[in-house]
Amino acid sequence: MADKKIKIHVENLKKNFGKLEVLKDISIDIFEGEVVVLIGPSGSGKSTFLRCLNQLEVATDGKIIVDGKDITDKHTDINKVRENIGMVFQHFNLFPHKTVLENIMLAPVELKIMTKPEAKEKGMQLLRRVGLDSKADAYPAQLSGGQKQRIAIARSLAMNPDIMLFDEPTSALDPEMVGEVLAVMKELVADGMTMVVVTHEIGFAKEVADRVVFMDGGYIVEQGPPQEIFVNPKEPRTIDFLNKVL
Amino acid sequence: MIIEKYGSMLMQALGKTLLLTLLSLFFAMIIGLIFSLMNVGKNRFFNFIGTAYVDGVRGVPLIVLAYFIYFGVPAGVKMMGVQDFRLSALQAGTIALAMNCGAYMAEIIRAGIESVDKGQMEASRSLGLSYAKSMRLVVLPQAIRTMVPSIINQFIITLKDTSILSVIGFPELTNLGKTISGNTFKSLETWAIIGIMYMIVIVTLSKVAKRIERRINFGR
Repeated sequence: MADKKIKIHVENLKKNFGKLEVLKDISIDIFEGEVVVLIGPSGSGKSTFLRCLNQLEVATDGKIIVDGKDITDKHTDINKVRENIGMVFQHFNLFPHKTVLENIMLAPVELKIMTKPEAKEKGMQLLRRVGLDSKADAYPAQLSGGQKQRIAIARSLAMNPDIMLFDEPTSALDPEMVGEVLAVMKELVADGMTMVVVTHEIGFAKEVADRVVFMDGGYIVEQGPPQEIFVNPKEPRTIDFLNKVL
Repeated sequence: MIIEKYGSMLMQALGKTLLLTLLSLFFAMIIGLIFSLMNVGKNRFFNFIGTAYVDGVRGVPLIVLAYFIYFGVPAGVKMMGVQDFRLSALQAGTIALAMNCGAYMAEIIRAGIESVDKGQMEASRSLGLSYAKSMRLVVLPQAIRTMVPSIINQFIITLKDTSILSVIGFPELTNLGKTISGNTFKSLETWAIIGIMYMIVIVTLSKVAKRIERRINFGR
C-alpha cells in the first residue's frame, strides 16, 4: 500500500462524551481504494471512531485529514467534505416520508449536483445495480430490512462519494438478509471504493478486507492483513476477543 | 325570536371570531416555529431565549396578557412621550392570542421535532445537506405527522379563547352574546345559540383534521 495515496489521515484523535473518554488516542492512515474493517468488543469506540471520520461526532482533540482537508478545523466546510463521504447506518435511516427514488434523488438535487432528470436516471441506474428498480415508487415502510439497507447504500452512492463508511450495516438484519447486503458491498470493493467498515461479520472481513483493525478501550490494539489478525493475533486482548466471536 | 332579529349580526360576529382565530393562528405558527427551532438547536443563548419566552407567556393568564397589551402597552408608549398611540381591539387581540398560542405551539413543534429519530438528521447531514436543509426537508415533514393532532387541538383551544377577548370589547361572538342577552333578557336562548355556533365550527374543524391526519401516513 506504500505506493498509494493517503485518503484519510488520523492523528492523535480523542473523543470524550462529558467525562467519558471513548477514543483515547487514535492514529491511522487509510489509503485510496483500501478496505479497512474495524472490529472490537462493544464500547471499544469503533462506531464513534467511524462517526468522527465525517464529523457526525465532533472530535474533542486531534486531527483528521480527508483528501488534504482538515475536517476538525472549524473553517472547513464540512458539508462539502461530506458530499464525498457516504455513510451507511445500522438502522438504515431511510427517509420514511419519501419514496425510494425520492430518497436517492434528494441530496444530489438539493445540492444542485444534478438536475431532477439526471438524478432520476442516476437513481434508477443505482436501483438496478442493487436489484431493486421495481421498488422505485415504494415507501421505505413497505420494504424488508435487507432491501432498506441496499436502498440506503444506493442513496449514499448517488452523491458519487469516493469514501464509504459502514456502521454495522448488517447488525439489524434478519440472518437470511445479510448476504444480499454483503453482496452489494463486495461489488463496491471490486470497484475500488475506499471503505471503512464496522462489522461483526468476520467472514466478510476475511474475504474482502485489506486490513483489519482491532480496537479496545478507545485504542487501536492491533492491525494487519486479515490472515495475520485472524490466524496469528499477537495481542492477548485480540486473542481473547477472537476466541469469543469465532 | 333571537335568530330572526339578530341572525345577520350573529353571522357577522362569528366572522369576526374566525378572523381573529385565523390571524392569531397564522402568527402563532410563525412564533411557534421560531421559538421551537431556538429550543432544539445547540446554541445556549437561543435555548435561553426560547425557554424564557415559552415559560414567560405560559405563566400569564390570557386575560391578563390581553389587558396588558390593550391598555398597558399604549400607556407605556405614552409615558415614553408618544401621543396618540392606540391599538385596536383586533390588533391587541391578535397579538395577545398569537403570543399565547405561539408559546404552546412552540412546545408542540419542539416535541414533534424531538420525536423524529436522531438517525434521520444524521443520515441527511452525512449526505452533505446543511442543518437548515435537513431540518426543512427531512425532520420537519416527519415531525408534522406527529404534531397534527396536537396542532388541531391547539387550533380549537385558540378558537375558544377568542371569547376571552370580549373583555377588551372586540365584537366577536361572545361579546355579541352579552349584548343580545342584555337587550332581550333571554339568557337561555342566547347562550344556547352562541354555544351551538361555536360547537358547529369546532366539530367541523375536528372532522377535517381527522381527514388530514389519515392522508399523511406515507405508505404505512
